[in-house]
Amino acid sequence: MRHLLIVLLFIAIVAFVALPASAQAPKPAPGGKPWTAPKTSWGDPDLQGIWTSDDCIGTPMNRAAQFGDRLYYTEKELADRESVLARQSETDKQEFVADNARAGTGPPGHWGERARRPCKQTSLVTDPPNGRTPDILPEARLRPVGEGAGNNNPRADSPEDFSYYIRCITRGVAGSIFPVIYGNGQQIIQGPGYVTILQEMVHEARVIPLDGRPHAGSNYRSYMGDARGRWEGNTLVIETTNFLGGKTGIGLNGGGVPTSEALKLTERFTRVGPNVLNYEVTIDDPKTYAGAFKVGFPLTQEPGYENFEYACHEGNNAMFNSLSGARAQEKAQPTK
Amino acid sequence: MRKTFAVVIAAAGMLMATMPLWAHHAFSAEFDANKPIKFRATVVKMDWINPHAWIHVDVKGDNGTVTRWMIEAAAPNALLRRGWNKQSLLPGTEINIEGFQAKDGTNKGNGSIITFLDGRKLFVGSSGVGEGPPR
Repeated sequence: MRHLLIVLLFIAIVAFVALPASAQAPKPAPGGKPWTAPKTSWGDPDLQGIWTSDDCIGTPMNRAAQFGDRLYYTEKELADRESVLARQSETDKQEFVADNARAGTGPPGHWGERARRPCKQTSLVTDPPNGRTPDILPEARLRPVGEGAGNNNPRADSPEDFSYYIRCITRGVAGSIFPVIYGNGQQIIQGPGYVTILQEMVHEARVIPLDGRPHAGSNYRSYMGDARGRWEGNTLVIETTNFLGGKTGIGLNGGGVPTSEALKLTERFTRVGPNVLNYEVTIDDPKTYAGAFKVGFPLTQEPGYENFEYACHEGNNAMFNSLSGARAQEKAQPTK
Repeated sequence: MRKTFAVVIAAAGMLMATMPLWAHHAFSAEFDANKPIKFRATVVKMDWINPHAWIHVDVKGDNGTVTRWMIEAAAPNALLRRGWNKQSLLPGTEINIEGFQAKDGTNKGNGSIITFLDGRKLFVGSSGVGEGPPR
């Protein structure tokens, strides 16, 4: 019996050490009680609250070659990034416009959200070990890609030439949670047998049954797919299939090469502290990528953060402006 | 209307060199780097709408003609989190606006630099203009 206990203890230690740093539960304060994951009144792990991926804003999807297989920054690298955030925070407090400020056509710096603390990761892709998205298959590259926000010279003839994001339709499952410049809120609401995730930007509401029912028939297809959830210990696992193909990609805001109808996403939400929820998604689309891969980052709860209504269509002057701008440009440069 | 636009600098367009991935914006698609605007204006109303707020202003020309302009601002979410509310920019407030006009020639502009008359910034944020969040 004693040997069995020692073996179990050894396995537990190995398993704990193997976890990435961000997935480990915080150490209790000296003399304090260790944090335990809260439960709902009906006994499920309680993930409820508004979470944001703001802290990893700007972390690249694919890791720079210089970091090799290293997912986390060193303490020194983190300290450097922390000081950048501190300087930025000081600059944000400037009350008057700087003498050297000059107008540009780009958005002013105050338009975006800020990370509250430096992201520990060198890339959003956590697996394969090199932190880089597997190759995109040749047939997938043939799929049309809607004109996105990064294109400053769009040739769009109609709203349908723009991406589903710009059209206020959807950013897809992955694009709705990956950290971008703003609108990163994820509100989790639970009830017995269900989890709902309200996503701030482009107003998604994912209602996910947890009762073990099978996926919908293969004829049922949607932008956000058909999600089924289950608990594995304290981890919420959501498996989503039945996507429409050729709509959104796995890039930020659903950009990049659109995925196929064969896409299967497996998401894992694990609360590792009172204000930290680790997120990981496995992307498996054999008609788009040469292999499956994982993207992960922490979500945090921040004081005062709320999901504000995303009345996208009502305010989408950019659609009219971009199209009228394209027409004006054609008029000025007929041979564009 | 006699234009009160000031020609800022011919090379202003060069400032837009690197654009982050902004939400619903291909800025150069909407706004013309060759049409800089700079004027004093009176706030008529502010639309608190996503993806971006718009400030409606009246601009008085030298001959007394008043022209209505729409100036694009940050997303309401970003403004609210920086301490803004519906009382922050009341109708009648006078502001200075510097930016660029819409490509199609309508009276819409991006509010690149917006200040109160005493020079205080209308929006809290980095003083750098045309920059994005940390990359």
